Amino acid sequence: MVLSAITEFAAQEPKIYGLVIGLIAAAILAAVINVVAMLLVWLERKVMGDFQSRYGPNRVGGRWGVLQLGADAIKLFTKEDIIPRGADKPVYVWAPIVAVATTMLVAGALPFGALIIDGREIPLVVANMDISAFYIEAALSIMAIGAFMAGWSSNNKYSMLGAFRGIARMIAYEVPMGICVISVAIMAHSLNVVEIVEAQSVWFAFAQPIGFVIFAIALITDLGRMPFDQTEAEEEIIAGYNTEYSGIRFGLLYFQEYIVFLLGSILLVHLYLGGWKGPVIPVISFISPMIWFFMKLVIVLVALIWIRVSLPRFRIDQVTDLGWKILLPLSMVNLVWAVVVGMYFA
Amino acid sequence: MTTANDVLAALQSAFPGVIEEAKVGPERQLWATIKPDRIVDVCKYLRDNHSFDHYTGAVGVDKIDEGLFEVTEMLASHGAHQVVALLKVKTKRDGPSVKSLTGLFWNANWYEREIWEMLGINFEGHPELYPLLLPDELVGVWPWRKDFKGYPDYNTAERAIERLTAEGYTEYSIPPTEAEVKAGTVQKERPKYPTFREREEMEIKGESEMILHMGPQHAVVPGPFLLDILVDGERVKKAFLDVGYIHKGIEKILENRTYMQGIPITDRLCYMASLTNNEAYCGAVERLLGIEAPERAQYIRIILEELSRIQSHLLGTAEFLTLIASAVYSPFLYMIIDREDVLTCIESVTGARINHSFVRFGGVRNDLPDGFKDMTLDTLKMIREKTEEYKELFLSDSIYRKRMEGVGVLSPHDARRLGVSGPPLRASDTPYDMRREDPYLLYKDLDFDVITRKEGDSKARVEVRLDEIFESCYIIEQCLDQIPSGPIMAEGIPKKIKPEPGEAYYRVEDHRGEMGFFVVSDGSDKPVKVKARGPVYAYMQALPPLLEGVYIADVVAIAGSMDACTSEVDR
Amino acid sequence: MGISDVIPLPVAVDKELEKWTIWGRPLTDVWFTTTEKIHEIIEMGPIKNVLNWGRKNSLWFLMQPMGCCGVEMLVFGCPHYDCDRFGIFPRATPRQVDVMIISGYITRKYLPAIKNLWEEIPEPKWVMAIGECAISGGPFYDSYNIINDTSKFFPIDVFVPGCPPRPEKFIEGFRELQEKIKRREDKRGY
Repeated sequence: MVLSAITEFAAQEPKIYGLVIGLIAAAILAAVINVVAMLLVWLERKVMGDFQSRYGPNRVGGRWGVLQLGADAIKLFTKEDIIPRGADKPVYVWAPIVAVATTMLVAGALPFGALIIDGREIPLVVANMDISAFYIEAALSIMAIGAFMAGWSSNNKYSMLGAFRGIARMIAYEVPMGICVISVAIMAHSLNVVEIVEAQSVWFAFAQPIGFVIFAIALITDLGRMPFDQTEAEEEIIAGYNTEYSGIRFGLLYFQEYIVFLLGSILLVHLYLGGWKGPVIPVISFISPMIWFFMKLVIVLVALIWIRVSLPRFRIDQVTDLGWKILLPLSMVNLVWAVVVGMYFA
Repeated sequence: MTTANDVLAALQSAFPGVIEEAKVGPERQLWATIKPDRIVDVCKYLRDNHSFDHYTGAVGVDKIDEGLFEVTEMLASHGAHQVVALLKVKTKRDGPSVKSLTGLFWNANWYEREIWEMLGINFEGHPELYPLLLPDELVGVWPWRKDFKGYPDYNTAERAIERLTAEGYTEYSIPPTEAEVKAGTVQKERPKYPTFREREEMEIKGESEMILHMGPQHAVVPGPFLLDILVDGERVKKAFLDVGYIHKGIEKILENRTYMQGIPITDRLCYMASLTNNEAYCGAVERLLGIEAPERAQYIRIILEELSRIQSHLLGTAEFLTLIASAVYSPFLYMIIDREDVLTCIESVTGARINHSFVRFGGVRNDLPDGFKDMTLDTLKMIREKTEEYKELFLSDSIYRKRMEGVGVLSPHDARRLGVSGPPLRASDTPYDMRREDPYLLYKDLDFDVITRKEGDSKARVEVRLDEIFESCYIIEQCLDQIPSGPIMAEGIPKKIKPEPGEAYYRVEDHRGEMGFFVVSDGSDKPVKVKARGPVYAYMQALPPLLEGVYIADVVAIAGSMDACTSEVDR
Repeated sequence: MGISDVIPLPVAVDKELEKWTIWGRPLTDVWFTTTEKIHEIIEMGPIKNVLNWGRKNSLWFLMQPMGCCGVEMLVFGCPHYDCDRFGIFPRATPRQVDVMIISGYITRKYLPAIKNLWEEIPEPKWVMAIGECAISGGPFYDSYNIINDTSKFFPIDVFVPGCPPRPEKFIEGFRELQEKIKRREDKRGY
């Protein structure tokens, strides 16, 4: 009864129907992503503990400490929200929102695995657009704007330095990263992430090893994780661009970092590690792509955490040097390689 | 080999009539009283002709009975010979003034500022006679003078007056008590000088420059101090250092305690090196008393001090790693784990983790427990393996090397001129180690190398520390083999210690460098003056020139590689 | 104000409604309310318990080593003692912490700075005095530069004695603070 009414409505007003469905999907996506990001913070603290002969959280929520992030979220979201007197108030208030919103832009175009229904792969993606790889790359760069707004509007010297570092680093690394994405697109004959995944009969990590390494480095830089966390180098500039933020606004920025961490890792899996591709597992063939995708994702996440706990931080000039002088020429080489190999296979 | 007698003879022939009084101490120490107007010439002569190139410090003593202030300048040499010249200058109590040595020795600056703010002795020719350790409100009360009665008091907080500033912050001021007003110890006219903030803001030249405050609360500081850097973008143009945020007045407190009660206070001088601080203080008093600890006690002291050196170097390197990496950098945490094992060894003897109060005049507090040898040897074996690993890690980590190589280079000449000692000096190719230079305890019987490096950069400083851990392990193993049985306290030490009137200076190799204690006795049960000459005080003074022209990220790399300890700077 | 003042209702219904309570307050308070009233109600009700559960399990402290206790504070965060187990970890900026640890002597020169730090911390916040120096001046009680009664300047919730206290005592101090928050017995009443 209700279903038939909905289908009728969809037939009559396809635009409104699409909008409503899109909004619902976006809401579900946002909720799921936030919960997953919280789990990711928890995972990082536990994994880091394992690397460092500690336990990590193990008191709140049973012996695995799974509720730790719940406690953190409750605390952060109910803390006093201070806006410094010297701050540029509208920019200060909007910065975390911009930061989170741009991450959600990325999330909209990124497939979160696939399901096999009737022998057909259905990718789980909110907006399956033709140029999604390009779009994601662009949205990832906009993210630096949020951080810059936060740093500039705080009227704090540490924040400002953090913001400037963030922009300098973003400019230096978006170029090689973009060229890597182009190389991948050339080999896959498409800019659509879903089609790029489909095209990987051989993982692009093997087809373009140089590109893979450059993309991974540029991605870590974009995520602002060790050894590239100059924007919030605790020992130099306190907490970088979010030094003045407290309470819920800091909470947003804090979780946003982990959402980006998650989305960036997913992107890496899709572009270079074959996404959800893998041999079909017989009995549970329905979710077998999800299993492969999830395994690859966890491996990438743990590897990035591993890098975080075992490398010292670069200096900001060394970071930009690395970006412009080494990664950019190498990514050009990779582009030529992709063209040659792509033409050969075509 | 130059002896104190040679130096004295040379001085007497070069400056006839200038040396009023002189005596040659037993430990290659030359004590002389110089006419006040010739002190600069004498020091210049000693520096140029007898290679007294190491200005160790200055001590101001208030001799209220004689109506005099005595300023003792301490000169030594970086390895050319082992003579320590302690040159006294006397000045009247009203309107005291002596000549400044800042023209000769760069690092005389802070020592003289400290004497000025504490005792009110003016230094003629000093370029920046501003307060160093004291807050502005205490400048002009001269707290180290013997007739200072304003403080101590026991109810400072109850007297505090609360006030809300226009910006909405609460401020407190603590007014003087009636007794203080009556005694006249409250400052009436504050000496005129620009404040720290005004001085640094004078240096801002252009629109693009700003001052970045690192401290008093900042992740880079091991304790509260203010490191202000004038930056142009990411480049540091000039650095300013303000210390004294945890100035406790330890030297004044020691004057109000008996000799024995002073030992726990010296513990808190630097919390990482409490055993060597004890050693330096007890050594100086032992010298005054003319006693020596029995052999077993000396071995026990060496064992514990070297264990303490290992834990201090591990923690120092670990803290440094948090600065160039982050607090989640794993090797940092591994080093803390290793340090806990070393602490367990020390704790089994002294019963404490940090503040030991273990060394006594003429011995030690208690003997080694059963099974100490085996436990320590096991720990040392583990420490050696781990330290090898860390060294290998740092060698193979290209990011680490990129960050550290060629950063904060201190040339041998500069290192000597700036007066640093310990690992930073040895990293600058100067084999200057008190254990070799001026052997105390039984170090002259033990076999060990003085670790040096040629480069003088941050990486070399850390490497020297790691290599010294091996040497310390080797020393402890020798001691554990050689240690004889016997008493642990010298005989016939009275319960109440009253040394003969006189002065003694005793220096040891602290974990961070040259640590000296200067003790003056007047025959009573409390010292007249105790001066702690700490190594970190010298490092910190040398820090601002090192930071000029580097990146902000290098500031933490350099400051961290110095392994500072604020508590000892401020005392 | 009753409901019948706004919506025309029989008086009997209004009387009946006034009997209804939520956590001891008349329900009408909740319907026609201001933020203060909401705050009061949250203050009394079980929601507050949930909030306090979150707060007590996520005590981030200010990285501010001041003396000997500063070293033990560092060790407190490291493997053997591992404060992360309790959800406790250090942050460098006062804007993002809940607990300020006074881990040493407060001098006249440092008092204004530490006061500023305290006022920069957003509510709810707690302060712990760790070590003898912070409690009473400790071995330096008779110094000319030390403030010996810290509790005059800060609403200290937990005193941890020791010179310096061992890292285990830090854990004990934090457990004590957690208990206080749970029982709502802390100085500032959260």
